[in-house]
Amino acid sequence: MMEEVARLSETIENDSVKEWKAGGGKVVGYACVCTPVEILDAAGILPYRIRALGNPRTDIADSHLARFNCSFCRSCLQLGLEGAFDFMDGLIETNGCDHLRGMFENWQYVKPSPFFYYVKVPHQTTPDAMEYFEEEIRLFRGAIEQEYGTKITDESLRDAIRRQEAIRERLRKVYDMRKADAPAFTGAEALSLFLLASAVPPDRFCEMADAAIAERKDNKVTGYRARLMLGGAASDEPELIKAIEDVGGLIVTDALCYGARAFWSPIDLDADPVKAMADVYLRDLLCPRMYDDYPRRRDFVLNAVAEARVDGVVLTHNKFCDVHGVDNVQLRLDLEKRDIPVLQLEKVYGSKADVGRIRTRVQAFLERIGGKA
Amino acid sequence: MTRALAEAKTGMFDRVAMLFEVIDMLPEEMSDEEIAGLMNILPGDAANALGAMLVPRVRKGSIAFMRMLAVWLDQAKHAATKHGKKTILVPFCFPPELIHAFDNGYPITSEVLSTLGVVALEGQGERYYDMALGLGLPDHICSSNSIEVGSMLGSNDFQPQAIISAAVGSCDINSKTHEFVSNYHDIPLFMLEKPVDNTDRGIKQYYRNYRTLVATLEEFFDEELTEEKIRTVVEMHNECTRLYMELWELHKASPHPVPNLFALYTYGARFAMWGTDSGVELMRVLVDESKKRLKSGEYPAEREVARCLLTYTSFYFDLAGMFNWMEEQGYSYLGDGLNMIFPQPIDTTSRDTMLDGMAEEARNMPMTRQMGAPSMAMGWSDDVIMAVTQLSADCAIYPGHHACKQTWSAASILREELMKQVGVPLLVLQGDSWLRRTTPIGVIQELIEEFISNVVVPKQAGRRKVRKRTRPAADEEAEVTTESES
Repeated sequence: MMEEVARLSETIENDSVKEWKAGGGKVVGYACVCTPVEILDAAGILPYRIRALGNPRTDIADSHLARFNCSFCRSCLQLGLEGAFDFMDGLIETNGCDHLRGMFENWQYVKPSPFFYYVKVPHQTTPDAMEYFEEEIRLFRGAIEQEYGTKITDESLRDAIRRQEAIRERLRKVYDMRKADAPAFTGAEALSLFLLASAVPPDRFCEMADAAIAERKDNKVTGYRARLMLGGAASDEPELIKAIEDVGGLIVTDALCYGARAFWSPIDLDADPVKAMADVYLRDLLCPRMYDDYPRRRDFVLNAVAEARVDGVVLTHNKFCDVHGVDNVQLRLDLEKRDIPVLQLEKVYGSKADVGRIRTRVQAFLERIGGKA
Repeated sequence: MTRALAEAKTGMFDRVAMLFEVIDMLPEEMSDEEIAGLMNILPGDAANALGAMLVPRVRKGSIAFMRMLAVWLDQAKHAATKHGKKTILVPFCFPPELIHAFDNGYPITSEVLSTLGVVALEGQGERYYDMALGLGLPDHICSSNSIEVGSMLGSNDFQPQAIISAAVGSCDINSKTHEFVSNYHDIPLFMLEKPVDNTDRGIKQYYRNYRTLVATLEEFFDEELTEEKIRTVVEMHNECTRLYMELWELHKASPHPVPNLFALYTYGARFAMWGTDSGVELMRVLVDESKKRLKSGEYPAEREVARCLLTYTSFYFDLAGMFNWMEEQGYSYLGDGLNMIFPQPIDTTSRDTMLDGMAEEARNMPMTRQMGAPSMAMGWSDDVIMAVTQLSADCAIYPGHHACKQTWSAASILREELMKQVGVPLLVLQGDSWLRRTTPIGVIQELIEEFISNVVVPKQAGRRKVRKRTRPAADEEAEVTTESES
């Protein structure tokens, strides 16, 4: 099953998406972890998380964004302008960060999507901000109803919440199975599963995840030199994780937005659906774009470090990513205060040329933390 | 040795404040010989900046500017000891008049301090930026505030009692830097978020956020912000605004009667002393001096070659090489993005009308207004196009401060819209507005000169015309923005 997972997750327009489209289904893209995808799901739309999968080309994107913009956003924009996401029927922007906003604005300016909607997400969790975001979700719901001529009832929304929560439960289970002394999945495999979760219909993902979990129940990944946590910026790059794992640093947990931060908080299935979504997508959001709750992000990392018994933490950020670039320094200082070794790694997204340097840095880090030979 | 070490660790604020104590002692009127003598005893970097500010055509405005800053620094330095006030660090996009309205508070604007460090200190404050990098902060953080913040993090600098983060929604790195300092030094952080939403709902939300901040500050300063106190600063805000508008009208004349450096002085007043006597006094001098130049018809070059609008920040590490050099070439500096504050008089009827008016002013501060808009590119383009049109600019220049990721995200759309809507070409530069080490001023001058000679002047002469552009296909290279008729 994991081969099938890897195959599907390595393709942008995968077979499942093609089938969905062939059956007349709509697909709407989003990029940011604070997008309430349940609204799309409740309208019968397949929410699809935009990804670049390590795409190193940015030549077209560079004539719109600049070299001072994050290479992940430039990679996504490149793919968007090249047509890799032409299967999408709409695009949802969120103000995740300045680069992401720029990516969406340029994408929409150059190649307008048939449907475009901007979900505005506050950067704080005060009562006023929470109230504003709840209203924002209601407006988003109304826009989707209007655009796609459908009625999203509270009941259909609750069903969608349950479907999306089922995805999150599977992912939590996979992450749980990585905590063992001999983990059942490698970090690269976990990333494949994660990527699949936001690129196929929920039921299809749950079937495949259940099969993968059953298949790997007794699997033991051994022979690694150290157990590592990966944290930091958007990293949907299987090659990056492979590069780290190839030299013996097994990623046993993470604090990534293409990872644990996207599914860690459970949603309240009994609450008012809009309020439940506001809580999970804003109040519980673990993202450095939030400027008033660094201690919660720090505690999340510290808990994950303890639970997965990691030997060291690798904190990455794509060059010019401000929110992670600064947050990683705060995290490093706090982790080192607790004698947890940290490798802070600035990188260029998807650059093959960077892989050799990253391997060397990780090897040196493993030497430093005394990883087994 | 101990003394030398202590000096190396002296904070930027203290060094700048010391220097301004000396400047404040200078006589109102100085002869050219006296100024030359002063230049001889100053260190090179300070002499270069002060030399630019004291050339005869801008001398009076510069002295008024320095006096305003001397008051600001002196008040801040002695806020606690002499006046029993708490200092609060604010970003440039936060209108300081709210803090001036409190008896117990005093605003320190991080970007103004960074700029003063660059302008006035030997070494241009680079050592403080390096202190921030020494902690591991990435080299793409913004020097505008991290020079000052680096000093707070790495030297024996003063520390504010609280920080206001007002770039939330319009600039990640500004907000993130403030958050970092707050956590590092355990200083309370108060946020003023601008929703990226200009509907009534978004505006109401911003007003709510502003009122929440006012209440937080009342508690923090242990002081009620009465109608009387607000009215005092609002009336002076209105006077500053009236003078700003008068200056804006003067910018429309050709040849340009407002000395290039006055653009910097105008927003220096806006960011530090708006709503105070000192702010009013500076604005009055800037208007009077410009009127005099208008009346005399004087212009520093033989003729006005090009009217240039800078679309965001400028380059501050060489005032002579940027502002004065442009003027001497006949390149009028009509203002830059930081002048795009569009202040409005505030209704003084009641506490509520005044607080709403102040919130509205805050919502329209530079960067907040443009980058906090639902579309950064369109919010920015609309303002630049309005300014270009009203001030009859021949061209626009984007200085391309490397840390401004949000404007870099929107610069290509700005270029397109400028050409499409008003046929004005945009020069895109790259550099660091506060650090000379990124792009030297000579390179910047060369690029501006080539742009004006090869694009702007031929266009004025009708030898180049604007091609009506269609939006490029995704896979096309960026087009040349002008073409030759011949």
